[in-house]
Amino acid sequence: MFGYVLPSAARLTEEDKSRFGGVYCGLCRTLGARYGQAARMILNYDFTFLAVLFWPQEEGNPLHGGCMVHPIAGRDYFPENNALALAADESVILAWWQIQDALADPGKGKMKYRAASGALKGAFCRARERRPAFDGTVRRQLEELRRLEEAKCASLDEPADAFARLLSAAAEAAAEPVKRRVLEQLLYHLGRWIYLVDAADDLAKDFASGNYNPLLCHFSLEKGELTEAARESLTVTLDHSIRLMAAAFELWDFGVWSSIIRATVYEGLFLVGRAVLEGTFQSRDAVFRLAGRNKEQL
Amino acid sequence: MTDPYEVLNIPSTATDEEIKKAYRELARKYHPDNYHDNPLADLAQEKMKEINAAYDAIQRQRSGRSASGGSAYARQSYTDYQRQSAGSPAFQQVRMAINRNDLGMAEQLLDRMDDHNGEWNFLKGTICYRRGWVDEARRYYQTACQMNPGSAEFRQALNFVENNQAGYRPEGYEVFTSGCSGDNLCGRLACTYLMCNLCGFGGMRFFCC
Repeated sequence: MFGYVLPSAARLTEEDKSRFGGVYCGLCRTLGARYGQAARMILNYDFTFLAVLFWPQEEGNPLHGGCMVHPIAGRDYFPENNALALAADESVILAWWQIQDALADPGKGKMKYRAASGALKGAFCRARERRPAFDGTVRRQLEELRRLEEAKCASLDEPADAFARLLSAAAEAAAEPVKRRVLEQLLYHLGRWIYLVDAADDLAKDFASGNYNPLLCHFSLEKGELTEAARESLTVTLDHSIRLMAAAFELWDFGVWSSIIRATVYEGLFLVGRAVLEGTFQSRDAVFRLAGRNKEQL
Repeated sequence: MTDPYEVLNIPSTATDEEIKKAYRELARKYHPDNYHDNPLADLAQEKMKEINAAYDAIQRQRSGRSASGGSAYARQSYTDYQRQSAGSPAFQQVRMAINRNDLGMAEQLLDRMDDHNGEWNFLKGTICYRRGWVDEARRYYQTACQMNPGSAEFRQALNFVENNQAGYRPEGYEVFTSGCSGDNLCGRLACTYLMCNLCGFGGMRFFCC
């Protein structure tokens, strides 16, 4: 995904920060162990947050060790568990299909996606074997998104729904029925929010290239930026989705992770959304980065 | 029974004032307005019941009296918004499907109808709202109100969408996408305030600011 899902650090204790860092480093190592070094490039905060949502109430014991990025000082990290495995598998599947989607897009700049596709092929095959149902959902929902894009759908809610359903499908992995219901809602609205924030982030670029962007169609924009009225309307929609995420979050006890999730759904997402709308958020497209790196290596 | 103090997340040594404060905060969190037309409303209702029971139990223990039922928040209903039965039998079927949370069926029934009158738009808006599609919900409610300006039900739904966007916030959380409702946090907008400075990959800040 895209790296928009971040807790507000001002709300985290030092303990929370090292806990979150431990999940981030744990996910990186899990990607490496399950899918090889190339797969570590798709590491991002959105899937770190996914691992947090699926973590048991107690955190477990972190280990300490060096890695390529921190060879000397090393970092604390959590060893692989179900939550990290899930986040790793699903991030590989989603990254793969997003790359395939980009390759199918009739535009320029295919090199980087071809390189990324080649680097991830083996990883994807293994991830698909592990999570066939999620793979099916991702493929179906991205096809649905493509269909809406081709039809130049002017609704915000329809394409956002297609992506939201994709993310919400991850909730199936929760064993407890109540947690599953809570996560279905939380992830659905997180998916909506991510899709719309990403559309806002890409607005100028899509306007220039003539690519589909639901905001351009929905608000009939004549420039690559939101009008005051459009921004206000989008803000209401974004805030509403975050509010529904928070409402779902409050219905399950996430144990030691509660403060990190609270710092995300009551502040972090608002800050990111505002930065994107103001154009001060630096987009960090994982797929692009992965491809860029591979190109350098080739 | 679960320890009522544990339910309210306070020590048993808490003062009456602290108990009331904890109770009010939880009641605000699980208030029906926050779960209006929400598929998780039943879980919120359960929470509210637990909180009310715990508060009452503590009140009873402390006053030595029998059940007072005097929670500061009266028993709020999560079913205030049950669809009123009005209109044709076809619309009643749609309302029943919405109440069962069978939104797919409700939508199918509506899609088969040719007369897109006020009630049709209202029900379409309700389905959208339940899905969290606030943008389209508002559009349908607006059309419904234009077609039937006299309907209190339609007006109420539109008012709710337009004026009830704040929802629950823990104390001190005031940031919105558009800015802050308070005046002390606006300066916080910067990536440095987000948890995004963990590491870069290969010396490059790949996924960080």
